[in-house]
Amino acid sequence: MIIKRTFIIFGLICLIQFFSGYTFAVEPDEILENQQMELRARDISKNIRCMICQNQSIDESDAPLAKDLRILVRDLIKEGYQDKEIYNYLTDRYGDFILLKPPLKTSTYALWILPIIFLIIGIFIIYIHQKRSEKT
Amino acid sequence: MKKQLIIIPFIFFLLILSIFLHLLTTERDPYEIPSNLLNKNVPKFETESLLKNERFISSKEFGNEKILVNFFATWCKPCRDEHEYIQRFADEQGIKIIGINYKDNPKKTVDWLNNLGNPYSNIPLDKDGKIAIDWGVYGIPETFVVNSKGIIKYRHVGPITHKEYKKINLLIEKIK
Repeated sequence: MIIKRTFIIFGLICLIQFFSGYTFAVEPDEILENQQMELRARDISKNIRCMICQNQSIDESDAPLAKDLRILVRDLIKEGYQDKEIYNYLTDRYGDFILLKPPLKTSTYALWILPIIFLIIGIFIIYIHQKRSEKT
Repeated sequence: MKKQLIIIPFIFFLLILSIFLHLLTTERDPYEIPSNLLNKNVPKFETESLLKNERFISSKEFGNEKILVNFFATWCKPCRDEHEYIQRFADEQGIKIIGINYKDNPKKTVDWLNNLGNPYSNIPLDKDGKIAIDWGVYGIPETFVVNSKGIIKYRHVGPITHKEYKKINLLIEKIK
């Protein structure tokens, strides 16, 4: 009985978690009429960090600056900017920190490559260990 | 040989630990993001000016002398806290200060300046926050030190404290 109840509660929590991921802060007056443009704006907004909350994208954040940046992204799209140009426009002003995913550059090689190296070392250690225990 | 190898993870662990300890003990604000505009020209902008009848044109203002740029608003409590230091920059250092009034009500700003004093030589209005975005501003008050060539040399996020006042004073004397 207890197990069943635990499962139900666990399931409910999972369900809430699943849907909570879809929250966004875009207000009706911000949405562009052109659907394709709006979709592009949403995609870009999901990759742009809210500089105030720092762990949220501007698409999810209610902070005033996030709203300003959402409007700016939409204005730039309307002006005919390409996605890459919009990202450049923002990083010129706020630095790479505004991107939620750090770009692959000489200064960030370690960040991207080290986990892979550690994974290889880990697999190697397990492999050797396994071999040795097989012998004994 | 095998026993010696066991030391390696420990050394690695100690290394990581010392890096963490160093980051914890050195005085820094992890929330402060370095400005991407350092050592770059001030952004160009044109807007209305609060107390003057002519428009504010950035290219006319910057590039002749050292300037302090302060983003402020009357609705921002820390801006009020730092105001006495901004005033001191004007009185004691005699440096030209441009106060960019961020998303504010001009009437309230005039009252505010009448009450607290006006350290600013010019007050361009940033009604929709677009000028702030061009400066990479993310939380007012923010203060920038611009040299006589119109290049940004320093940015401080948050209110000016006594310690920060002294630091910026030294910097103003040092830069050209």
